[in-house]
Amino acid sequence: MPVRLRWMRGRTEGDGPGHPDRTREWVGCDDAGEAIVRVVCVSGPIRVGWRLRHAVARDEEARVVELRPPVDRERRWLIVVGGRVVGRAALPLQAVRGAEAALGGG
Amino acid sequence: MARTPLEKIRNIGITAHIDAGKTTTTERILYYTGKSHKLGEVHDGTTTTDYMDQERERGITITSAAVTAEWKGHRINIIDTPGHIDFNIEVNRSLRVLDGAIFIIEGVAGVQPQSETNWRLADRYNVPRIIYINKLDRTGSDFFRAAATLTEKLGINWVALQIPIGAEDTLKGVVDLVTMKALVWEGDELGAKFHEAEIPDDLKEKAAEYRQKLLDTALAVDDAAMEEYFDKGDVSVETLKRCIKKGTISGEFRPVVCGSSFKNKGVQPLLDAVIDYLPSPVDIEGIKVAPEEGQDEDSDRRVIEVSEDGPFAGLAFKIINDKYGNLTFVRVYRGVLRTGDQVLNTTKGHKERIGRMFQMHADKREEIKEVYAGDIAAFVGLKDTGTGDTLADPADPVVLERMAFPVPVIDISVEPKTKDAIEKMTIGLQKLAGEDPSLRLRTDQETGQTILSGMGELHLEIVIDRLKREYGVDANVGAPQVAYRETITRPHTEVYTHKKQTGGSGQFAEVKIIFEPLERNQGIIFENQVVGGAVPKEYIPAVEKGIRVQADTGVLAGFPTVDFKATLVDGKYHDVDSSALAFEIAAKACFREGMKKAGPVILEPIMDVEVTTPQDHVGDVVGDLNRRRGVIQSQDMAGTSVIVRAHVPLKEMFGYISNLRGMTKGRASFSMQFHHYDPVPRQIADEIMAKSA
Repeated sequence: MPVRLRWMRGRTEGDGPGHPDRTREWVGCDDAGEAIVRVVCVSGPIRVGWRLRHAVARDEEARVVELRPPVDRERRWLIVVGGRVVGRAALPLQAVRGAEAALGGG
Repeated sequence: MARTPLEKIRNIGITAHIDAGKTTTTERILYYTGKSHKLGEVHDGTTTTDYMDQERERGITITSAAVTAEWKGHRINIIDTPGHIDFNIEVNRSLRVLDGAIFIIEGVAGVQPQSETNWRLADRYNVPRIIYINKLDRTGSDFFRAAATLTEKLGINWVALQIPIGAEDTLKGVVDLVTMKALVWEGDELGAKFHEAEIPDDLKEKAAEYRQKLLDTALAVDDAAMEEYFDKGDVSVETLKRCIKKGTISGEFRPVVCGSSFKNKGVQPLLDAVIDYLPSPVDIEGIKVAPEEGQDEDSDRRVIEVSEDGPFAGLAFKIINDKYGNLTFVRVYRGVLRTGDQVLNTTKGHKERIGRMFQMHADKREEIKEVYAGDIAAFVGLKDTGTGDTLADPADPVVLERMAFPVPVIDISVEPKTKDAIEKMTIGLQKLAGEDPSLRLRTDQETGQTILSGMGELHLEIVIDRLKREYGVDANVGAPQVAYRETITRPHTEVYTHKKQTGGSGQFAEVKIIFEPLERNQGIIFENQVVGGAVPKEYIPAVEKGIRVQADTGVLAGFPTVDFKATLVDGKYHDVDSSALAFEIAAKACFREGMKKAGPVILEPIMDVEVTTPQDHVGDVVGDLNRRRGVIQSQDMAGTSVIVRAHVPLKEMFGYISNLRGMTKGRASFSMQFHHYDPVPRQIADEIMAKSA
């Protein structure tokens, strides 16, 4: 059975001048308000050594947990539990459902 | 024009591949909005927007027509555009001035070649779109398969707002996924009523699946909506509509609705979607000003916001000449303009006085005294304003972003049947070319013939027909010729000295020019890199003129030379004997000599051809395309037919339709559009050169 979490906005990101910031991270909390899962879509670019990576995922301490060289529009949202990527989805609501299913053992 | 608040105006176009049902949909819109009380049909030649004789006789749209309708307190200005690729200029200029579009695809074939071309045009102008999958009453139609072609062929992120109830001849209505209600029509006839009902049991699962897809996609563009969903497990209809509108305008996703205009099902919800999801003039970013000289196309430029406040600014996007004179269609972006006002044509730098103004309803007109930001109106009496020119208040003489026009690919020679009609023919053709930027008129320097260049055989056929009907000139027309081009393949530096001394003052000019090939569609670039006054500044324009004029007659077979850069790097002059004329002559000769040594080649237009054929004729069709020097790109199943796609030289496509009909017993159809220019094979180049010699 998927668990039901309370979701709130996490980190935000701007789409550039003239565009309002958008939430690119949703944090799933348990009944005690403890963050236990994040679905995140952080677009790069980020420079790693001499390479430029276009998409990254970070854990709650902003440490990079996954890099992807190309922008992958189909699988942009990552489900991150405890600093580990446990799933991917194209859209945030799909990632939320994926996260709840993953935590429920589904 | 009665004032409608800007937020209640929708300026939209209806665009699609030929025969997808644009005009039929427009007719239904006019009927259901109460604008017309009887329905016109394309096959009867009685539609409102196809008002030209040729349109009614042939059952196709040739020119875009503007009409206005009212729906639920909103004014919808609609432009119905042609589907045939030969009249693509009409789609181009309409999309340029519209705030949104209904993009129709056919329920049987899905996305077709012209749909793709129009889609890319709409992308170029950032036009928000609603996709309408039409003709779902047809045998072989399939909403889901047609929608899948949106992903396959356009690569877009689409989201269904409706799914059909029933299919083909049992099409009954649609499930509205926003309200989760069924909309069921009570008949096929004109004006058939529809009612809301519960979703049929057999569709509940499918509707729930597509509703979830809609929520997943639409809510992703709005954080507040996501929170509402997390709080309540669902969102209100208002919230969902807000998200759909936001995503539609930003282009994050493309909403899809469906129906059958011919069977009168789905038109009213389509109108609802227009006012709910397509932007009003104030919902869009505004229009950019044209880049200044030397400024990059992608550079940050000033944006003129749509507002009634501020100095007037509008864009002329269409000219027509009829029995009453010259009508210039203008989209107003800012300010208010009244009859008798004076404006500046900022593109050409002269003033124009506004005579009479009209709101157009296809070929009918209603006189108005003022126009406001957001309006589309026609002005009479402008003396020298062409398609793409900006009209503005001299207080803020902005030049709005211009339009890009397609390159003509077919030439014909034209001459009047009687000698005394030469002047009438020239005037007529000049006026027709003034209306249509994809039509070019020139005189062949060697033969003295009048050459008309257009987008295809049908385009030129219509022009000649209009010349006869509207200007009374019967013309003899030469066989269509491919509009070949010439270009170069390697760099070369040429020095040419023009020296003439035959008594009196002489002529002297020397130029050193580097000729380099450019990428396709770059045209001609001239650059001056002369230092130290080796060629005095006043002679530089003459050098450029010489090259551009001479480039009209290529060195291989006399076709225009394109896609090269000429850099003037050095030269010599004489204090007494040099003149602009001497430098122009030197530049022309330098071009002729230089081009011969820069690897000249002849280019031919290559067409993107799509043939839809029954399976049992695929082998014949493919074999025939191969014999025509075609390169097969793909073969895809579509119901019981196969769609063969190939790149084929235009030269090999003349008269193809009769051949195809014979080969397939009339069961196959095809369409083609210009794709790119390629060098012709050596043997064919030799034939072309021999013919031109």
